Amino acid sequence: MKILIVEDEKPLSDSMVEYLAEEGHMCEAVYNYFDAVEKIGMYQYDCIVVDINLPDGNGLDLIRLIKKQSITLGIIIISALNSLENRIEGLEIGADHYLTKPFHLAELMAHLKSINRRISYGGNNQIIVNEIRLIPDEHKAFVHEQEIILTKKEYELLLFFISNKNRVITKAGLAEYLWGDYMDLADSYDFIYTHIKNLRRKLLKKGCEDYIKTIYGLGYKFELS
Amino acid sequence: MAISLFVFLIGMVAFYFMLRQQVDQNINLELKKREISLTKEFDAAHSSAKQTVNLSDTIIITPIFQPRPLEQYSDTLLFNQETNQYELYRQLGFVKTIQNHDYYIQVFKPLEETDRLIIRIVILMNLLIIMIIVTLIIVNRHSSRQDWKVFYDTITKIRNYDVNSHEHFSLQHSDIKEFDDLNRVLVSMTERIKSDYLNLKEYIENASHEIQTPLAIINSKMELLLQSGDMKEKQYKTVADAYEASNRLSRLNKTLILLAKIENRQFPESKPVNPSIMINHQLESLEDLIHAKKIKVTKQMDNEITVPMNPYLAEILLVNLIKNALRHNITGGELKIELTKESLRIANSGPELQFHPEILFKRFHTSSTSPESLGLGLSIVEKICTMYGFKVSYSYQNSMHVMQVDFYKA
Repeated sequence: MKILIVEDEKPLSDSMVEYLAEEGHMCEAVYNYFDAVEKIGMYQYDCIVVDINLPDGNGLDLIRLIKKQSITLGIIIISALNSLENRIEGLEIGADHYLTKPFHLAELMAHLKSINRRISYGGNNQIIVNEIRLIPDEHKAFVHEQEIILTKKEYELLLFFISNKNRVITKAGLAEYLWGDYMDLADSYDFIYTHIKNLRRKLLKKGCEDYIKTIYGLGYKFELS
Repeated sequence: MAISLFVFLIGMVAFYFMLRQQVDQNINLELKKREISLTKEFDAAHSSAKQTVNLSDTIIITPIFQPRPLEQYSDTLLFNQETNQYELYRQLGFVKTIQNHDYYIQVFKPLEETDRLIIRIVILMNLLIIMIIVTLIIVNRHSSRQDWKVFYDTITKIRNYDVNSHEHFSLQHSDIKEFDDLNRVLVSMTERIKSDYLNLKEYIENASHEIQTPLAIINSKMELLLQSGDMKEKQYKTVADAYEASNRLSRLNKTLILLAKIENRQFPESKPVNPSIMINHQLESLEDLIHAKKIKVTKQMDNEITVPMNPYLAEILLVNLIKNALRHNITGGELKIELTKESLRIANSGPELQFHPEILFKRFHTSSTSPESLGLGLSIVEKICTMYGFKVSYSYQNSMHVMQVDFYKA
């Protein structure tokens, strides 16, 4: 996937590039509105990650500009401003997701993967990881072609793991992905523990290998050796 | 002031006319007496009977020798033959020498009529003074009530003053200079306080927003660091702890920004929200945890109810209440949700609180058992309720914690 990252904070931009590039994505970074417009004019991208507050312009204007050229292109907004109006406006003019700073790279990755699936496979896509097969649009999961019944959260969890396979997934990142901002996340870690325990049990029961590794004190890792 | 002057003027005019009438009456009376005595004199002249003497003109002349009495005024009683009773007279005695003889002459003037006149004048004056005083009291009370009204209005407004409120603080104008001064000082004081407060708030908000970006950088860098596999376990632990802390800071910051936004009423749009749909939705997303804790959920909800609210805030409100009820629940406990037109009650099993329920809604109050908790959940609940004029209260009934939100203040 070809991704353009428009973010004026260079260190943050670098982090994103590094995290996404490891997955084999082609990442390009620009740090202002002007350069972004130029890049968009010259190249074709699959997805754009854009900050709203740019030193020389507004990310929302950039999105309007992009949407005039290409409808299918995926857009993720990242902003320090978490105002509902911004969020609604952003989503209304065609953004796929709205992430509030600070966000988790794993979360960004999960959103990018879902955009990738949308634009590359259209409606009938599926994700195959060894013996696991997921059909995201139908919220179905199979292990060795046997369907496993997952709750909504368990399903989202599995998808998140697969999107960030072989990465350390922090509990905080998981919690925010599953429940969003603004929750007092006091016992979300317990929730996560419960969800993961159930998910792992269901997977193992159907003869799936135990991919979910616990990293003590930090989180989990979906490890494909 | 103008009113009392007016009252005095009216009183004086009235007094003049009333006095005038009394004097006229008195003179009339005397004239009447003259008529009577004149008639009697005529009758006596015709009948040549013993001549009656008009007492009012009575003069008594007595020859005197030694010693010479001094000239003097005095009161005396004389018998009035017309009325057959003694009457009070004023007399003047003086000595006159006529043809080398000293005579002591006494002249009399009846006091009765003048006396009556004086009494009437005194009564009249008293009546007038009383009238003036009563009028002044009434006028005074009325005008002072008007003045104090402004004062009490000021007191009420100050009592209800909320630095967070977005209404303009203004006080009534008063005719009393002191009150007007007081109001002016108060208005300028509250304006100063408010502007200081807003500056401070703006500063905090800006700081919170500015913190977001560096936090994003820190978090992303640490996330990357965690991905690099070539770290020793001890280093790993160090980074993990730091990451955890910066995450906590991020969440805290986001929540504080949310609280500030609720306070600033940055969620103006509101539409009818159906709480029962939202509650069911939340319970669904939390069902795994409910199962894990073996919690029995009972719902009594009127599905038709809608509450005018910002949907986003409604969700935050409900999520926080439900999660709170789950968090502080015991394994195998109960969760009861009742929704009526008037209120929402969420009750959960659990041991009684070890502290005063009032501090439940305070910021950063956490039960020490869950260190990840920010202790802001219930204060968000309270802020949202305050914004919509709902009343949120806590009680402990039948070993259950009950959170009640009354949608409309009684």
